[in-house]
Amino acid sequence: MRRTLLGVVPLTSPLYALHPLTRLATLGLLGMVSLFIDAPEVNIALVFLVFVYLRWARVDLSGLRIYLPLTVTVAVFMFAVAIAFPERTPGSHTFRFAGITFYAESLFWTFASYWRLMAMLLGTIQYFSTNRERETLVAIRALRVPFAVTYFLSLALRSAGMFLEDMRIIREAERARGLDETSLALRDRARLYAMYMIPLFTIAIRRTDEISNALYARGYTITGRLADGGRRTDFIHTRYPFRTRDTILCVAQGALLVAVAVARVGFGAFTVAHSPLRRLFLAAVGGA
Amino acid sequence: MDAVAIRGLAWKYAGRSSFAIEEVDLTIPAGAFVGVVGPNEHGKTTLVSCIKGIIPHGFHGVWRGTVELFGEDVRALGSQRLAELSGFVFADPEAQFTSMTVEEELAFGLENLGLPVAEIERRLVWVSDLTGIGALWDKSPYEISGGQKQRVAIASALAMKPRLLILDEPTSMLDPLGKDAVFDLLASVKRETDMTVIVVEHNVEQVAPLADLMLLVHRGRVARAAPPELFFEDCDLLIESGVQPPQATLFLDRLKRQGRFPGKLSPRFEEDVAAVRDVLAGRARGGGTP
Repeated sequence: MRRTLLGVVPLTSPLYALHPLTRLATLGLLGMVSLFIDAPEVNIALVFLVFVYLRWARVDLSGLRIYLPLTVTVAVFMFAVAIAFPERTPGSHTFRFAGITFYAESLFWTFASYWRLMAMLLGTIQYFSTNRERETLVAIRALRVPFAVTYFLSLALRSAGMFLEDMRIIREAERARGLDETSLALRDRARLYAMYMIPLFTIAIRRTDEISNALYARGYTITGRLADGGRRTDFIHTRYPFRTRDTILCVAQGALLVAVAVARVGFGAFTVAHSPLRRLFLAAVGGA
Repeated sequence: MDAVAIRGLAWKYAGRSSFAIEEVDLTIPAGAFVGVVGPNEHGKTTLVSCIKGIIPHGFHGVWRGTVELFGEDVRALGSQRLAELSGFVFADPEAQFTSMTVEEELAFGLENLGLPVAEIERRLVWVSDLTGIGALWDKSPYEISGGQKQRVAIASALAMKPRLLILDEPTSMLDPLGKDAVFDLLASVKRETDMTVIVVEHNVEQVAPLADLMLLVHRGRVARAAPPELFFEDCDLLIESGVQPPQATLFLDRLKRQGRFPGKLSPRFEEDVAAVRDVLAGRARGGGTP
């Protein structure tokens, strides 16, 4: 596994044969397609497909367990709100369970929204589980975004890494001096984290100077232009050839997104009303 | 041609009451390996920053005098021309690693110079062979040690093939093994390239044996500039100035004061050992230097 700012990516993967722009297009597709899909069975299928894709890409699926608390917390909050503050539309079907009145349509809509959210979330997780910051920058450069913007982004990513590293060092130093965070009350822990900000920002300000000097020392100019007016070389970009299959995949992914959007907006496809799961659910709670 | 020619240089940082360096007159011949020593806060970094042009380009303050790099006034040069003439390695390896992989880091300066892709490729291979970092190309800054980061930083500067390479306390944040690796690398640079090298370093023991010229920067002035064999002539002055000469040199200095060693003091351990052997055998003649 290879470390990145946000986690790890596989050392080798068949996915790496694709250009970073193609992979970014996949993120775009998976991140947006669920916006046009309400039917939960389609989003559930999408989640399943992403898991298959991750397995093909040789991502260590056990590493995704860190997102489990997030998915459970989101579910708890969403369903708690749906139960406590249901949408009471005329003709809503209700049923009682454990002394509480449930509104079936409202509950199912929450269920559908949850899976839509999960599909989008997993779509994003797959991207950061298979792409390093370097690939993201190459993809953005391939879109002809100005050098100053991509380099600003690159430095921001690098600075975030340094910030996290500095924080780790400060915390280790505190532990070395006998601090046991687990014994602290929540309020004291919050205060402790607030205290980290002082040394962290001091270090960050000092680093700003050092990084700016380091850039200057290596001939960096914000315009990306040479003294004679020419453009700076983009060497890293040449490491990632954009092949015919990338063109085909980018176009196919774009077309798929457009097709789903048209099907939804133009023909009303993928709505909850068409959902077989909804029919089953309403039948089960006696509302069908 | 001299690599560096400094005349009447003085620099005061904005907001400070006194000059960080003043009355500096110095010439460094092309191809020389220069060790710069002196206590903290006495102007070493300021001096090399003036040579590189980071001062006055990146700082506000008062500048007097001139600094020429290979005959060109640093104040008149842009960052790209300065980068062609001189490379700079900072003390903190973390802060100079601005890219997301080693390969990008090595290529960054070369991209800024606008070199063709094939030439960048050639230089990356050359510098990786020289510095032994070929296996790190694909690694991110989170995956390599401080010592490796500093080697990458030196390699990044070397890849640009500057005529002058400046290293400002390159080992100050490294463990002993990391320090040794950096000095081994500097020895290779001296052996295999014709670059002029200036190293600011507290570790006199390791820098002096490589140096052709040693500078003592004390209270903002170049208090002594001499070849190593002469630089350690007055060890007491060096110690008073906050510089610790190599232990073997100090030992020979004691013998010399007792009249038991008539030769010149050398910072090279092997030469000092040979000189002591001669003293013990009662055949000391020319001392620690040939």
